[in-house]
Amino acid sequence: MIVQTALLIGLVLFSVLAILLRDLLKSAISLAAASLLLGIIFFRMNAPYAGVFEISVVAGLITVLFILTIALTKAGDEVRESRAVNWVFPLFFIVFIIIDALVMKGLLRKIPALASGAETGTFGDVLWKGRTFDLVGQIAVILAGVFAVLALFRKRDKHD
Amino acid sequence: MTNTWYFYLFFAAALVFAGILGLLLRRNLIKLFIAIEVIAKGISLLLLGTGFAKDNILVAQTLVVTFIVVEVSLVATALALIINIYRQTKSLDVRKLARLKG
Repeated sequence: MIVQTALLIGLVLFSVLAILLRDLLKSAISLAAASLLLGIIFFRMNAPYAGVFEISVVAGLITVLFILTIALTKAGDEVRESRAVNWVFPLFFIVFIIIDALVMKGLLRKIPALASGAETGTFGDVLWKGRTFDLVGQIAVILAGVFAVLALFRKRDKHD
Repeated sequence: MTNTWYFYLFFAAALVFAGILGLLLRRNLIKLFIAIEVIAKGISLLLLGTGFAKDNILVAQTLVVTFIVVEVSLVATALALIINIYRQTKSLDVRKLARLKG
């Protein structure tokens, strides 16, 4: 439990750093580190498939996409951020953490657990047999993403 | 069960709140999208945390895998949009988008 808590604190810290850091590249790398920690947390929760997806797709592919976008938009002007961010963000975040802790402490054992049936089979059984319609949705979403990117990067006609 | 669930709910809520604060306070389009990614991390942690606490880890895993696929598609489309916006306005400032006409 101590290791899990340390990993979760690391996840929150890297995520906050990703938002707070001024340099976009450092932010993207921070986000990748947070994804890596989340993947390890998934592994420790007996969810290896989710962990593998989190590390390979989110920490790998999405970070590459972010770095590519940062490289393609590098020549642009630096966006002037509000100076208030430096103190408003930590202040509000710490206040929220305190409220969050108090609310969770207050709710402990007050809300009963919902009944859930015991799981049988393997991950493959659940994914391919139990959640078949999700896979159809996934294919639709991937195709929508591909067509959206193609539409956004298509070459202009002579008439445009 | 509930103790474990509140433990993960606490951290997931912190991640979602950090992301929402980032969305409210930042002006750089890429930063805004990083904030959305942080919120997505909070949601996937909550999904798997709930499955773990209720001993339904297999269903939670399938939901997280589906969520990650949707996330990748969203990221690819949004980053393509950001690059197109940058080509049009030569800036990543979200305030300049409000001034566009036509």
